[in-house]
Amino acid sequence: MEWFNNWINKLHETFIVGDRYMTLIEGFEKTLIITFGALIIGVIIGTIVAMIKVFAHNSPKSRILKVLDVIMNIYLTVIRGTPVVVQLLISFFIIFISAKDGTWVAMLTFGINSGAYVAETIRSGIMAIDPGQMEAGRSLGFSNIQTMWLIILPQAFKNILPAIGNEMIALLKETSVAGYVAVVDLTKAGNQIKNTTYDQINPILLVALVYLVMVMLFTWLIGLLERRLRKSER
Amino acid sequence: MNADCIIKTNDLCKFYKGGAIKALNGVSAEINKGEVVVVIGPSGSGKSTFLRSLNLLELPTSGSIMFDGNEITDPKVNINIHRQKMGMVFQHFNLFPHMTILKNMTVAPMKLLKMSKEDAEAKAMQLLERVGLADRANTYPSQLSGGQKQRVAIVRALCMNPEVMLFDEPTSALDPEMVGEVLAVMKQLAEEGMTMVVVTHEMGFAKEVADRVIFMDEGVIVESGTPEQIFDNPQNDRTKLFLSKVL
Ligand SMILES: Nc1ncnc2c1ncn2[C@@H]1O[C@H](COP(=O)(O)OP(=O)(O)O)[C@@H](O)[C@H]1O
Ligand SMILES: [Mg+2]
Repeated sequence: MEWFNNWINKLHETFIVGDRYMTLIEGFEKTLIITFGALIIGVIIGTIVAMIKVFAHNSPKSRILKVLDVIMNIYLTVIRGTPVVVQLLISFFIIFISAKDGTWVAMLTFGINSGAYVAETIRSGIMAIDPGQMEAGRSLGFSNIQTMWLIILPQAFKNILPAIGNEMIALLKETSVAGYVAVVDLTKAGNQIKNTTYDQINPILLVALVYLVMVMLFTWLIGLLERRLRKSER
Repeated sequence: MNADCIIKTNDLCKFYKGGAIKALNGVSAEINKGEVVVVIGPSGSGKSTFLRSLNLLELPTSGSIMFDGNEITDPKVNINIHRQKMGMVFQHFNLFPHMTILKNMTVAPMKLLKMSKEDAEAKAMQLLERVGLADRANTYPSQLSGGQKQRVAIVRALCMNPEVMLFDEPTSALDPEMVGEVLAVMKQLAEEGMTMVVVTHEMGFAKEVADRVIFMDEGVIVESGTPEQIFDNPQNDRTKLFLSKVL
């Protein structure tokens, strides 16, 4: 019992004294904000990129679509071909040099990064929809884009929602490198407490525990959602 | 082009694989207002390609299509406007599975014809009533049988007040016991004076309902005439051979 009391005292010293737990809570908030913001940006970018690629695939004669398609391919190649930490450094120290708060820069960067991966998921989700759906929409008089928006995308999203959930989990963990650009996210907050208290163990373990619990929670929610969706299909 | 003509195709060709496959090889046809034209022919003869060219779901390689006085094959034409006036019914129904039956029927009139929700729903309910499916308005397509789905697909197209209805083998995906209910709806539509182009293997329907029968083979119209002419007194050997197999 002796070691347990010592440990409790240590925890008190590390987290409670000086209200240092507040740093963690703020860091946790930042992590969530960046994660969700990046997810939304990623899904929007991914949807646009996927639509351009599908339209370009369906109408190989269109010049404009061909040019857009090439631009999208460059975007995908560059983003997937470089580490996200390097992208973060480029954003913060080269592009948005005047930004004081790294949070927005991080959110945007992770969003742009995520978009490149989500695009492929959404594209295959769109391609998985029966071509008869597009034909039915067009035969009623809807344009390409109207049919995509009203008929194809809602069905595609239903199919890929679990994959988007997994992207959220990936983002949650990936954003732990946001500390590179002066953002005090959950990881950075733990690291700061470690440095001020010289407690080399507890802050980092606590941070790990918070990530783990969050991931388990999200995983459970996605499973719930998947079962719901499968039920509504019948 | 006579005054009653609503669709006129001129020398339509549709080639695939750089001309190796000639799905349509010079098809010229006229469809008059109020006419029911049934297209028959062996599998792969170009029936679907012809029908789907009429609303440009397939873009012809060459040739032209006049619809309602407009040359819709002109690339400058906004085909979406003209498609609103051409209803299409597919072999596999192609209902929108994420929308209720009512929504399937009202989405296009509301978005494209700017009909109010009330008007669009009233019209949809009236049509559902006619095909005996009013009680299914708020269910999803997955809860319907094949025959019910196809009846909904027909009235979904009718919600846009089309001038022509195109049918591509509307009963081919149905269990035999459901074919009758769909043909009955189509027959009723024909009696009301709807202009219809129907690709089908239902020779009974063709004999009973068609004003004119077109026999296609290898991408061309081999023979065309009244049901009596085609079924009782075919002139071409290919027509005779085909009919000897299906009748
Ligand atoms: N997308 C396509 N690519 C290549 N060949 C096609 C395509 N669509 C149709 N064809 C060919 O064109 C011919 C006519 O097809 P289709 O109009 O579907 O015939 P039908 O409806 O009379 O059975 C067939 O030989 C078919 O294989
Ligand atoms: Mg066919």
